[in-house]
Amino acid sequence: MKRVVLILLSGALALCGCGGASSSSSTSAGAGNGHTTITVWEGYTSIETKAIEALAAEFNATHPHITVDVQFSGNSDYALQKVLAAIAGGKPPDISYLYGSWAPNIATNPQVVTLNKLIAEDPTFDWNDFWPSERKVATVGGKIVGVPALVDNLALVYNKQLFAKAGLALPTAAWTWSDFENAAIKLTDTAAKQFGWAYVNDASEDTVWRYWAMLWQAGGAILSPDGKHAAFDSPAGVKALTVLQSLAKQHAIYLDNGSDNYLGLFTSGHIGMLWTGPWDLATIAASKVSYGVQTLPGDANHQTISGPDNWVMFDNGAAHRQASWTFLKWLTSPSVDLKWSLMTGDLPIRESVTKLPEYARFTSRYPGIAVWVKNLANATQARPVTTAYPKISTAIGQAVQSVLLGKSTPEQALSQAAQQVNGILAVPE
Amino acid sequence: MSAHAQTRPGRAASSGRPGRVKRLLASEHLAGWAFVAPAVILIAVFALIPIGWSLLLSLQANNLIAPPHYVGLANYKTLTKDAAFRSAIGHTLIYTAVFVPVSVVGALGLAVALNRKIRGIRLYRLAVFVPLVTSTVATGIIFLWLLDPTFGLVNYLLSLVGLPQQQFLQDPNEALYCIAAMTIWGWLGFDVIIYLAALQGIPTDLLEAAEIDGASRWATFRSVVVPLLGPATLFLVVWSTINALQLFDEIYVTTRGGPLGSTTVIVYYLYQQAFQFFNAGYGAAIAYVLFLAVLLVTLLQLWIGRRRVYYSS
Repeated sequence: MKRVVLILLSGALALCGCGGASSSSSTSAGAGNGHTTITVWEGYTSIETKAIEALAAEFNATHPHITVDVQFSGNSDYALQKVLAAIAGGKPPDISYLYGSWAPNIATNPQVVTLNKLIAEDPTFDWNDFWPSERKVATVGGKIVGVPALVDNLALVYNKQLFAKAGLALPTAAWTWSDFENAAIKLTDTAAKQFGWAYVNDASEDTVWRYWAMLWQAGGAILSPDGKHAAFDSPAGVKALTVLQSLAKQHAIYLDNGSDNYLGLFTSGHIGMLWTGPWDLATIAASKVSYGVQTLPGDANHQTISGPDNWVMFDNGAAHRQASWTFLKWLTSPSVDLKWSLMTGDLPIRESVTKLPEYARFTSRYPGIAVWVKNLANATQARPVTTAYPKISTAIGQAVQSVLLGKSTPEQALSQAAQQVNGILAVPE
Repeated sequence: MSAHAQTRPGRAASSGRPGRVKRLLASEHLAGWAFVAPAVILIAVFALIPIGWSLLLSLQANNLIAPPHYVGLANYKTLTKDAAFRSAIGHTLIYTAVFVPVSVVGALGLAVALNRKIRGIRLYRLAVFVPLVTSTVATGIIFLWLLDPTFGLVNYLLSLVGLPQQQFLQDPNEALYCIAAMTIWGWLGFDVIIYLAALQGIPTDLLEAAEIDGASRWATFRSVVVPLLGPATLFLVVWSTINALQLFDEIYVTTRGGPLGSTTVIVYYLYQQAFQFFNAGYGAAIAYVLFLAVLLVTLLQLWIGRRRVYYSS
């Protein structure tokens, strides 16, 4: 009896002990011989997993002094929480994939490596070769906190069969909002449960960023130039939201509840047009729908919005910093990035990739992708780079949703949201 | 220390160290504590320490990223003026007021119906219990499709009988009740099991006595069965209330607090503050207010229960 107790007790103690011991076992081995192992956290799945592993293997084979250990850290939605826990535990990864929207928050952490000096000292890197939207998102108050990892943007994807059935001409690059509205209404057939357009109506950032594209198209701005006041409650803002209001009233919009039903409904011919990004291309291309891709319709201009993500470096000493920088430079160099794009269908993150001779293989392998690449030139603005952005987004999400549900007018909704946003911005960070 | 414990021979009495240690090793207390030690350690590490830590957190301006600083009771003061928090409390109270009575009374009715010897009774019991073991995410996705305004089965059935089409989870006035319906469906099985066990614990001689005294079935149910189910009812009311006040998962997988914030309950608001807006300190303050509220409500219920519930011995 007692023996059992003692064994249990010692077992429990051993259990406690091993938690402390294991955390120190993965520190870099062999610092003396100039070899460094760096840890990279990513949240890729399927094709992208294979691609990152293939590229890491290639890097390791060509860089004898560095070993890159790529680790899947789970869904990227939770990457920030995990990285923060790792920082608190004193052992952050050397590099992590993090959403661009987190940049302002992550920039306040002292362990994040600011890249300005590394970039300035390295003429081969060419920071300005990255797309403007990527650079804006990675730069927080002048500090560059990440290397672009992914870029996308919204374009118009349409179902050619439904257009033909409705007797409509296909969208052109010169399409105006009224062309778009007209088509959306003609493509709508309530009895057949067919909608002209779909809009994600869960008041999340998915709801918000499509509205920002429209706001910019009408010549509006999100915040005042000094970033201290709301500016979206302008005639341009009202005009953009009125388009949503009018289409929703005519039941021309399928209001998606946030579980991305729109994609299945598009591929089954229930939705005529989508504003979406290259991430949906593989599913659409695999379906029976004959689709086309076009830049977004416009008002004063044809701007789109882009949601770039970053590779963020964490400071684990000079050797790790140097090795991480070497890896990121290699990974985001034009020729390697083209390999990545060819494997995954992701858009090239550098403009010079599109000028490589091999680039034609990318556009022919992924029909329609060329429009999204060209559309990157229309992603000239970025969302406000501020830690207050999640709150601003929530206020706008509510405003757009209240209009889509017919609970308020564009004017009311925007002036209420502007009040909230001004209140949020008045609080010092 | 663990090595020391293992090398010590089993016959501790012969180790030549009499006195306190020996008595301690021989006592029942040590054995008891040793048995619960693994659980105590786990609870301490994963519950007690976080509870203490979050109290500290609630007194800080902490975004979990930058170094925190102490702000005293500022988070709690802000809470008293936060209109969004007040409406989250309102939604939680409405939800609780629907969830607790409907699930407890509904479960009692179902349990009585299932407490019979009829063909296929096991199948019926299983049917009631299955939603409980179905994951919340699966339940959420099923309900999202059932209640889809355009393609959902429920609206299709409504159209068959000529009733107006509903927006369900996409209507700010209906969403919270749809969530309540979903969670009641999901949790009913648990309440039914408790009631079934309690019903089967009712002595048959009492029921026979009532029958002999000429009591109708309804009178027997009201005056004999229901009072004898008192302890089970008290437990279910307390437990369901705590469960309802802490509603989160179902909201997270379906409406995410919307539409227009109509399903933003306290814990969802806490999540939003801590993990979307990076106000971890403020989130911790909300958690503490909720903790105190749950404690108070539970104590009140137990106090009422002690005076009203009949415990047969």
